[in-house]
Amino acid sequence: MRAVRPTEIAVVDLSLCDRCGLCLPLCPPEAIHLALSDLLVDQGTCTGCEKCIAPCPVGALSMVPNRAAA
Amino acid sequence: MPDVDVLVVGGGPAGSVAAAEARRAAPELSVVLVERDRAIGAPVRCAEGVGDAGLREFADPTGSSWVARKITKVIFWAPDGTEVKVAEREVGWVLDRTRFDAFLAAEAVGEGAEVRVGTEVTGMRREGDRWVVETRGARGSETLRARVVIGADGVETMVGRWAGLDTRVPSRDMESCAQYVVQGIDFDPDAIYLQFGDQVAPGGYAWVFPRGVGVANVGLGIVALKADGRSARGYLDAWIAARYPDGAKTGYTVGGVIVHTTVKRTFADGTLIAGDAAHMVNPLSGGGIVNAMKAGRLAGRTAAAAIRENDTGADRLSRYHDDWMQLLGDDHLKYYRIKQALEDLDDGFFNGLARTVNAIPTAKRTLGRIFAHALVKHPQLIPVAARFFF
Repeated sequence: MRAVRPTEIAVVDLSLCDRCGLCLPLCPPEAIHLALSDLLVDQGTCTGCEKCIAPCPVGALSMVPNRAAA
Repeated sequence: MPDVDVLVVGGGPAGSVAAAEARRAAPELSVVLVERDRAIGAPVRCAEGVGDAGLREFADPTGSSWVARKITKVIFWAPDGTEVKVAEREVGWVLDRTRFDAFLAAEAVGEGAEVRVGTEVTGMRREGDRWVVETRGARGSETLRARVVIGADGVETMVGRWAGLDTRVPSRDMESCAQYVVQGIDFDPDAIYLQFGDQVAPGGYAWVFPRGVGVANVGLGIVALKADGRSARGYLDAWIAARYPDGAKTGYTVGGVIVHTTVKRTFADGTLIAGDAAHMVNPLSGGGIVNAMKAGRLAGRTAAAAIRENDTGADRLSRYHDDWMQLLGDDHLKYYRIKQALEDLDDGFFNGLARTVNAIPTAKRTLGRIFAHALVKHPQLIPVAARFFF
């Protein structure tokens, strides 16, 4: 477990997401997966770096408060 | 548990050519290609443009059903709107990717490969010298055992990840793209158009690729780090509203184009990755269809030969990586350096360059002459040229 949990993490709005997969290789800890044709952000792995947010061509990713943060 | 010799993941150009080539090289092998989507070739995430010579290595476009339009002109729009026309000749083609990808998959089936659509790989693990691969799809869940897995599964490659390959990319080398099919617009249907400018497409360019008279793929790619906070689709909506306010948008697609150099390792024990998965797009042009097919051909042949030699370990498969680097990967290192140098030049430079080129008579606009004139008039280009040669 990480010593410091991020205060914000990325979430995907599946109603906007086009499943293009662009964000997967942008994620340094590889927290984003395409599984059974839906995009998932693993909340325990996301470090809150925001690298996936701006490049999404349709703005489907955003940051939300991390409920697991201390 | 069913055993297959070669499992190809992904039914794009890289995957279908890999499957066909593996069987062509070794007809005794069992080759299975799985495609996550329910149809090969859909959805299309592509501007569909392809160069003539590269395409002809794999298929004859003359009279084929999978070509949308023959292209004989290239027109650049500078940031200030100055139009620059370059050489009129057999430039290339705009494909109908839905049909083209299906054509390539059918070629693979013709060679004896099995194609399973609507089938997703959900994970794979190493067991001895085999991959145990979990699939899920229309026929339910199935576990396969494969000697070589070829990951042709696109920018989102999970095969690369599962095999322990680093397929991550820095943000500055990711083009965020959006595209509409726009109908009822006026342009030269024999030309492709490329528009540059920080206001239109920061870090990338916008394009009009004709699908026919009055209908085109109209799209753009941006680097989000250089953008003003709008998404690629936001930039595109603005550009189309300005340029084609009366056009009918009858379809749209989005996606990422990785404009980087080939991943450091395209191979692992029992694994090869090809095409977008391995970052094999030309980093200067963003073109990747022919590159994917060339890589697929190398991957299919390498997998077949390795299985025949009964050695599918990483060392044996590394020859694929060497072959690719020699074929195109090393060139991409050069193109990448040029891309980096061009990033330092601003809109004013490109406006000036457009006027310089337009001062050369159209018939005399060879690449060499454009280059010579440009270097004399625009000394800012000298470091760009230097990066190409050194």
